[in-house]
Amino acid sequence: MIDVNEDELIRCPTCEAVNINKGQDNTCRRCGSSIYKYMHFSTQKSWAYLITAMIAYIPANLYPMLITNQFGVVEGSTIMGGIIFLWEHGSEPIAIIIFIASIFIPVLKFLILIYLLISVKYPIGKDKKVDKHKMYYITEAIGPWSMIDVFVVAILAALIHLVNVEIVAGTAATAFAISVFFTLLAAHAFDERLIKENN
Amino acid sequence: MKLENEDALDNLIICHECYTLHEEVAIKDGTKALCTKCGSILYRYDSRLVDHGLSLSIAGLIFFVLANVFPLVQIEILGHEQFITIPKTFIALFDNGFYVVGLLCAFLIFIFPLMIFTINIVLFALLKLKKGKNFTRELLVLLSHIKPWSMSDIFLISILVALVKLIGYAQIHMGTSFWALILFVLIDLYITKRIQVSEIWMLRKRLFLSKGHR
Repeated sequence: MIDVNEDELIRCPTCEAVNINKGQDNTCRRCGSSIYKYMHFSTQKSWAYLITAMIAYIPANLYPMLITNQFGVVEGSTIMGGIIFLWEHGSEPIAIIIFIASIFIPVLKFLILIYLLISVKYPIGKDKKVDKHKMYYITEAIGPWSMIDVFVVAILAALIHLVNVEIVAGTAATAFAISVFFTLLAAHAFDERLIKENN
Repeated sequence: MKLENEDALDNLIICHECYTLHEEVAIKDGTKALCTKCGSILYRYDSRLVDHGLSLSIAGLIFFVLANVFPLVQIEILGHEQFITIPKTFIALFDNGFYVVGLLCAFLIFIFPLMIFTINIVLFALLKLKKGKNFTRELLVLLSHIKPWSMSDIFLISILVALVKLIGYAQIHMGTSFWALILFVLIDLYITKRIQVSEIWMLRKRLFLSKGHR
């Protein structure tokens, strides 16, 4: 017989098996992967990925995402410029989709992750009015959808390359893809146990 | 809480959305158990999970191959015809020197979906034959690591967005692969969202580890 406190039960991030929290070196009893091995760095890893993502998000908005070359006239459009263009030319639904995918979701994810990372270290949001586990789940679920704009650019660039009319990806595409990639890594690196410990 | 041994932890389940602890109860075939706090699905019980999983993975892989070999969309612009396939979208990025985005796209829309379906086929086939106790564990670990990185569904929506942008500039014809991709995405959503990895773990436990207990 073993006696465990319910608060000491944690979920393996890989296989979702319930494990007893043994502190530093937790190995999942079912799949054998280590559960948040870098406990002593706690939030640093997630912060590092998040800051990289936020830095990459700046050039992603300043440089052109899409470069159109029509009969020798080269024109670049940024993410926001593209959204405004679509809105003004009657494609409001598409403008809204791109806005949600490229601006709303990344910014929301940055804010939620910053909030979570701060709140597990400092006593804010302790009144349990906000469900931090749910917030974390939401960031994980919506995160990949910000890739839409990168895929759209890839499709358009592959499709439109004629002699006179050509679309190529811009610098922002690389920056944006890197930003999304690192936000996903930041979310994965976040140690969910910390929420519990601070509640 | 008192437990007989560590294996008894398998009767517990933590909700993957709100982290509430639950005790697993036996449910009827084809039904699902919901979280008492947030209402999300905890687990389902499907007595023929192996057969369903295997047949869907094979069907998915077939549609994936079809989705990659034929043209996705074809457009007519200023008298020129152009078409794209899925591999062409990221190869075009390489050709233009966008190696980072190209590599990322290649993994997200080609390599990872292909890996997931290949792993699923091997995994369910081994479970069906009741073989490979350790190999199935390795496969399941690998599967849960790459699952969040497969983005075929997002790519499908992106195609639609890209095409709406082109309306008015070009004549658009949907290719064979487009329909194959829709079917592939539907199967992919079913397999990745409905058949949770934890259910396959439980199934594996029933097959390989239950001898000593019951």
